[in-house]
Amino acid sequence: MIDRALSGPVGRVVATELKPTTPHQFHFWTVTETGIGIGAIVRVEAPGSGNLEAGGGTRAAGRVVYGVVTEGLAYSDLPTPLHDVVGAEGDPARAAEAPTVRQEIRLWTAAVLRQIPEEPLQPVPLGEVFLATDADVAQALRMDGYLRSAAPTAIPIGLYTAGGLEAPVYLDAEFLLGPEAAHLNISGVSGLATKTSAVEFLVASIFQHFPRHKGRVAAVCFNVKGPDLCFLDRPGTLEEEDRRRYQRLGVEARPFERVRYFAPYKADGVNLNTLRTHPDLVGEVQPLVWGLREVLDFAEVLLNRDDIDAKADAFIDFLADRVLDRPFEDGFGGEHRVETFADLDRLFRAIFDGLEALGRSDMWRTHHVATIRKVRNRLSNISTRCKGLVTDDGPSHDLPWGAFEDRTVYVIDVANVDPLGQDLVFARVVSRLREHLERRDLGVDTVIVFVDELNKYAPADGPETYVKKMLLDLSERGRYLGLVLFGAEQFRSQVHRRVVGNAGTQVFGRMDMDELATPGYQVLSPATKIKLATLPVGELMVRHPHFTQPIFVRFPRPAVLRGRDGVERFPPAADLPFEEAVARQLAQLDRRIRPNQVKDLIADRPPEDVRRALGAVRRARPDDVLAYFRKVLGARIPAEPARSREGVPPLTPISDEPY
Amino acid sequence: MGAPHPVSAARSWVEAVVAAGAAPARYVPDASLGRVDEAAVAGAELVEGVELEIHPLVDGFRPEAAAFLDGIQHWRVVAYDGVTPVVRALVAAAVRHRGRDRRLVTALEASRELAVTRLAGLSPAVRGALERAGVEILELAEADLGQPGRTLEAARRAVEGARVEAEREVGERYAAGLAPDEWLVVDGVLSESARLARHPRVLGVVKSHSAQYFEGPALARALRLPPRHRTSVFRPRGRARHEVYSWYLRLWPWEGNDLLYGLLRIETRAHPDAVEAASRVGGWLYAERAPLATPDARWDRLLYPIHDVETYLNARVPREFFPAAGSRLPASRL
Repeated sequence: MIDRALSGPVGRVVATELKPTTPHQFHFWTVTETGIGIGAIVRVEAPGSGNLEAGGGTRAAGRVVYGVVTEGLAYSDLPTPLHDVVGAEGDPARAAEAPTVRQEIRLWTAAVLRQIPEEPLQPVPLGEVFLATDADVAQALRMDGYLRSAAPTAIPIGLYTAGGLEAPVYLDAEFLLGPEAAHLNISGVSGLATKTSAVEFLVASIFQHFPRHKGRVAAVCFNVKGPDLCFLDRPGTLEEEDRRRYQRLGVEARPFERVRYFAPYKADGVNLNTLRTHPDLVGEVQPLVWGLREVLDFAEVLLNRDDIDAKADAFIDFLADRVLDRPFEDGFGGEHRVETFADLDRLFRAIFDGLEALGRSDMWRTHHVATIRKVRNRLSNISTRCKGLVTDDGPSHDLPWGAFEDRTVYVIDVANVDPLGQDLVFARVVSRLREHLERRDLGVDTVIVFVDELNKYAPADGPETYVKKMLLDLSERGRYLGLVLFGAEQFRSQVHRRVVGNAGTQVFGRMDMDELATPGYQVLSPATKIKLATLPVGELMVRHPHFTQPIFVRFPRPAVLRGRDGVERFPPAADLPFEEAVARQLAQLDRRIRPNQVKDLIADRPPEDVRRALGAVRRARPDDVLAYFRKVLGARIPAEPARSREGVPPLTPISDEPY
Repeated sequence: MGAPHPVSAARSWVEAVVAAGAAPARYVPDASLGRVDEAAVAGAELVEGVELEIHPLVDGFRPEAAAFLDGIQHWRVVAYDGVTPVVRALVAAAVRHRGRDRRLVTALEASRELAVTRLAGLSPAVRGALERAGVEILELAEADLGQPGRTLEAARRAVEGARVEAEREVGERYAAGLAPDEWLVVDGVLSESARLARHPRVLGVVKSHSAQYFEGPALARALRLPPRHRTSVFRPRGRARHEVYSWYLRLWPWEGNDLLYGLLRIETRAHPDAVEAASRVGGWLYAERAPLATPDARWDRLLYPIHDVETYLNARVPREFFPAAGSRLPASRL
């Protein structure tokens, strides 16, 4: 607690005709050596206001004003610099030898946070200025309403510190996770690990303080670069100061108890495409593999990047509605049941062959052959570029839709996935989250979606991609569903303004001066900008609906293993040969299985069949893994010869008019 | 001394006087001037050498602790009863101490609010109101009444006397407790106070030079003193109440300005040690020229710590003592 013995006046409000106090701003002076600085919260008591009573809740009659310091000035009684030169006889060294130090002033400007009483709103009285205590900070930031209510919704975010004093700062869960407001956006230069660390700490704080009466909460984190989020379940190194801050904030310093990792395979279909491949950890990573159905549902993601058109869209809809997962007659006598990319490719071949056999015709079931070719190219492209995420054959391995667990982090590692695949993963996961939350059958009531590099997914400029539209929808309507976006980016100005504008809570780490010169930061004073440009690691500026001014807070280092440290402590394993990778995956499901058993079983078997069988085992989780694997492998259709993607020859010279 | 500032009740007695029938007035003199030396040839007796000589100052002496004393006076006519003015005056004095951190802090201060008038010249009602108000009254002599110019000059002298008294009282109190390694620098002469004039570590710094102690070549040497030099030590003659030693000191070169530019007269106790220490003490005071006491127009002779004391005291003077813009407009138009 802030020691009340230290809470004597530290300054006094001054007002002149040129620098008057107003209802929203005031000026005060302090001694030269003061703990006051930019971002400090102060309390002004009007003469006759009386002192804080025990407990800090009520006061005697009189106006009390809370403010946050936004600007500081220092000057001496020196009329012109020339007089200093004359006094020192032109020698800078002699200036320091003057027997007397000139009178100087520390004059501060503060923005009003709150006035009590709030009505009538009046200029700030010319009273004494005190450093804010715990209770003052709670009142100044209007935290008292959700901190001490019957059903508290306070989420610790960090410690406000000034003048050697500190006080916890809380966010209101109603305004952080909905439904009143929602979403959080965090900006800051890269390389300081502040953004990721802040989100990790805040999610931990949410998991520990999210009120039970508001339901169950989970977090879905997209790991889009490096190993940042790969070790959330492992304890990191904390310093004593970090532990003290945890204790002060009422948050337990421990790694996340429940973390589920998902990562696609590499192109070989058996080695996971993640940095969490150390033998001790890789068993906790689940594969993320999708088939044709999952891709077709979000085909717009693949097509809208450059040349989407209504015809291609219509053809994809036709495939999804009329072809997929049902018997289909191609019009040339062929019967198809399309469940996989391979099936679909057979259908395309049949169509092209059929049209060629019929002679000069460019149309198939009202779809022009050029459109069909375009769609085929895009779909085959995704299965090539995202091989490992998208399987040519077989059903998918997916997130546990409908079985999300309370206070669990779901990390989806797409750091090494092609950008197109990242878009697909992001679009599909968020869309499925939305669908389930709408139906209230996800397993949790609120989901935090953490997306780094938001400027890539929702740029301020550029085309209207499916992902950008989805993020806009999420930021504008997600709070009603319990779908909350925690977005991070280096430059806020490069993110779509509706995405950042809808973030009820905005957090700023160290900022680049060029970024601070953009219009979005005009409301900040020059001193606040300078502070932002030089913020140390672990300090943030926070804007929250309850706070009328930005507040600087310090947060402890997250209690999880940092990505870089994790990679050093758990170095990723080298890719295993195909047979060994399959054997290891089966051994993880059943420790009785010996590698040689698996190797013997899959010898001379086509890899596609092995992958298909392995996927079936992972989905089924049978008691006798090896027997089931043998059965699935043996029962499957004989392996097809290795296919190479062949270009389909044109039916006839294509006219200039494609349709 | 040390009592609450006496201004709080000021308005009440002014209003009471006006309510009793005195006509309200607003007149502020040109300035609340400091003490002015007598413009007369006073004479001096050399105590160092046989003729007035010029000595270079010696560096190296810097007391670790020093204190600086100055006073202020402000006054204004607040009412007339007939042609008898009622003057409201404020005199104050303070000592600011400077330690190792080279910062000045107030160590002692005192102030008095006064009503200056001739009670016998007031009507019974006005006089009664003034006496009941409880303000300290400074009486003017009967001969001072009459033409306003003469009366106001008498009032100014009365206020100045009160200010000198306040300075003397504060100075003597502070000097009584002066630490062994601490010096007290007084703005003005020491000779008004026996205690100050006898103290080995009290200096008087005189900026005005109306009193003339030398004539002929000695006067020329004194007034053409080069910077960083002092004159021989002499014993001033004339109106001095208590014996002191004195010497001139030049802070800034006068060429291009006037003969008195940067010229100080230092007073110290009348003791042989003071003669021996004059060059060293002069070297210290020479160092005190920085920082400059700007924006005061007297900065060439005003030591910054003295300027600081004056600034401090003036900052605590009620605004009523300072002429406001438009204060000389007809009252009926205000």
